[in-house]
Amino acid sequence: MTSLLNGVRRTNSLIPLLKQMKITFSTETVQAAPLAVNTQKVSKAMKAYLERAQEHDNFMKAQTIEFQIGKRHLANIMGADPENFTQEDIDEAIEYLFPSGLFDKKARPMMKAPEEIFPSRKAAEFDETGRPFHSMFYTGKPNFFQLLHNIVAEIRKAQYIEDKMIQRGRLPAETDRLDMTGFAWLSKTDLEKILVETISDLEYNNFLNTMNRLAAQPAAFKCREFALQYAKPLIDQSKISEIPKPQFDENGKQFITTYECLRKTARADVTIRFPGTGKVTINKDHDITYFKHVQSREQVLFPMIFINQLGKFDVEANVEGGGVSGQAGAIRWGIAMGLRSFVDSDVIEDMRVAGLLTRDYRRRERKKPGQEGARRKYTWKKR
Amino acid sequence: MLIRQLKQFPRALSHFSTVAEPAQVKLEHFRTNESTVSSQGSQHIGRFYRIPLEERKQLFTHGGLPKSFEKQAKTFGEVCVMVREPAVEIIDYIKSSDLSRPVNRFVLHGDDGCGKSLTLAHVLHYGLQNEFVLVHVPWVPNWFKRPKETANSSTHEGFIDLPFDSAAWLIHFKTQNANLLPKLNLKTTKDYVWSKRETTPAGSTLLELIEHGINRVKFASDAITALLSELKQHSTDGKCKVMVGIDGYNAFFHDKTRILTENKAKVTPDKVTLTKPFLDITNYDWTNGVCILAVDRIALTEERMESSLPRYQLGKEGFEHCDPFIPIKVENYSEEEFENCIAYYLDRRWIQNVTEGFDNELKHLSAKNPYNLMSVCAPL
Repeated sequence: MTSLLNGVRRTNSLIPLLKQMKITFSTETVQAAPLAVNTQKVSKAMKAYLERAQEHDNFMKAQTIEFQIGKRHLANIMGADPENFTQEDIDEAIEYLFPSGLFDKKARPMMKAPEEIFPSRKAAEFDETGRPFHSMFYTGKPNFFQLLHNIVAEIRKAQYIEDKMIQRGRLPAETDRLDMTGFAWLSKTDLEKILVETISDLEYNNFLNTMNRLAAQPAAFKCREFALQYAKPLIDQSKISEIPKPQFDENGKQFITTYECLRKTARADVTIRFPGTGKVTINKDHDITYFKHVQSREQVLFPMIFINQLGKFDVEANVEGGGVSGQAGAIRWGIAMGLRSFVDSDVIEDMRVAGLLTRDYRRRERKKPGQEGARRKYTWKKR
Repeated sequence: MLIRQLKQFPRALSHFSTVAEPAQVKLEHFRTNESTVSSQGSQHIGRFYRIPLEERKQLFTHGGLPKSFEKQAKTFGEVCVMVREPAVEIIDYIKSSDLSRPVNRFVLHGDDGCGKSLTLAHVLHYGLQNEFVLVHVPWVPNWFKRPKETANSSTHEGFIDLPFDSAAWLIHFKTQNANLLPKLNLKTTKDYVWSKRETTPAGSTLLELIEHGINRVKFASDAITALLSELKQHSTDGKCKVMVGIDGYNAFFHDKTRILTENKAKVTPDKVTLTKPFLDITNYDWTNGVCILAVDRIALTEERMESSLPRYQLGKEGFEHCDPFIPIKVENYSEEEFENCIAYYLDRRWIQNVTEGFDNELKHLSAKNPYNLMSVCAPL
């Protein structure tokens, strides 16, 4: 009788806890009350879970101790203070002691805290008697479906606010919208990490659709905080905001120089002048015919064509290293970056979306032994 | 349906052919009717004029127009050349110069694809219309870079003959001056003894000399030497006036050719028999003539392509040979010329996919370079 009561009380006390879970899905293992264990009224599932949890906790404890000892050893080897040996120091030491030329960084030797290495596990989802905490436990993916419910609740909230506004005789303005520019919804793997559940492509698609529905609400500005939990900033916003002011040259023309424009192995610095006639000067004494192929020339002109200002700017570029397309790409990036100082923020946003302001860090892929090239295999021959 | 039926009768269809008829109705702003070159002036600059079929055949059957241009002209169904500043300038100079003085040399220079060869073609057209005897070499490097056949010269020890190329040039010369030579009736001033049995006696016409060179390919190179010295002599005597037009002239002063001797040694241009007569005729020691020499970056080999200026292109020796000369720079299209060219391409349906601002984009893609513009427009 007492155990039953105890169980009921526990479930009651879990209700606020569940509300908390809406936002952060708990991953800690829950220790069942020793009382319940002792009274042998524990369900089989709970018992199995408790065993597994115990095992995992012990394992993690051992790993943590091992990591601490290993860290101290490493600090001693490196002649550093073991008390203040940070993760950065560890990485440095590992790189020094086990230099590795492996291409994939994940394949190189590493030493990290066990929490980072071993994936987190779900907490207990049911009480000792086998009753699930979560009403959607039997969906198999309670966290995911809870999330969908939460999003819909937010949508309702936005609609309620909109209704109120209309009742007061005010239509939602553009500023009342949920502004998600510069953000993208979490990727499937990131979402799975948060939910501690694996979801299918279809389910992820449902998540995206629901989120987009929320974002499309005319008065969803209050849902921003909620939405940002499931969004990731696209690029470092602060970097974009630092747009240099144009300087003035001796002829009274505005100019801006972008240094370190890079693409593949080409390096360039690009000066653009406004107002101009569309003259392109490359390496002092060449015009755009420096590039023999039309494609490269189009690359160079593209930022100006994109903002519909071809022929309004003069371009001077110094470029070295790399090949033809690399040089053209480097100049293109330099021009696009320079043009930011002369256009308004909407156009900059368009340029960013078009990928003109993104640095292209792709490099030539190495040739692999036993293969003809980076990916291509030798022609198959029977013998 | 009607067209489909007509297709069965090609002759009937040819009546409706799309080949451009001469524009008689109304002249577009980018064209001019003035096909008499001497009456073209600065008011015609930037306009296209049509070279009549007859004159075109006579002038350019054996070369003279750049290959890509010729191809395009064939597509357009007409040869239209733009009247441009350098050609008008040279023709003005020729008109106002005193031909009884030693010959004037004009050196055309400019970047690749600016229109040097077409300027030369334009001036040659003037020469044809004004009864100049034309001594025209379409592209000198053809002789040094891809000769048809080589042979040791029988008359000059250690020299190389290009018999087929020489004969081809003689045919070219004969075609270009087909109308003029019989009229002038120039005679040789001395005996030319080719072999024991073959001689061209003094007093025979130049045509006979040329014919001999063409028929006896072995002596073609020597025939050219003889012909050019005769021409020099006659023009100095005032019997005729001569226009020398040589494209890729700087190849004569380059230090290498692709010609090999029998023992696989490289030959320099000065060891080729053709070089001497053409250098001779571009000398200043004769009168009643004019020389237009185009120097070109691509006439040389890759290591000599840094600059397109005459001093660099001709080298010290060549520069001194030509000195004093009048340098004429051929530039890229001007704003107006560019617009006219685009209008012409539109008229010929060479550009068909027109979107807003296409001309501006083309202008910057090609940097207003005529050749670049042509190649950029080709797939449009």
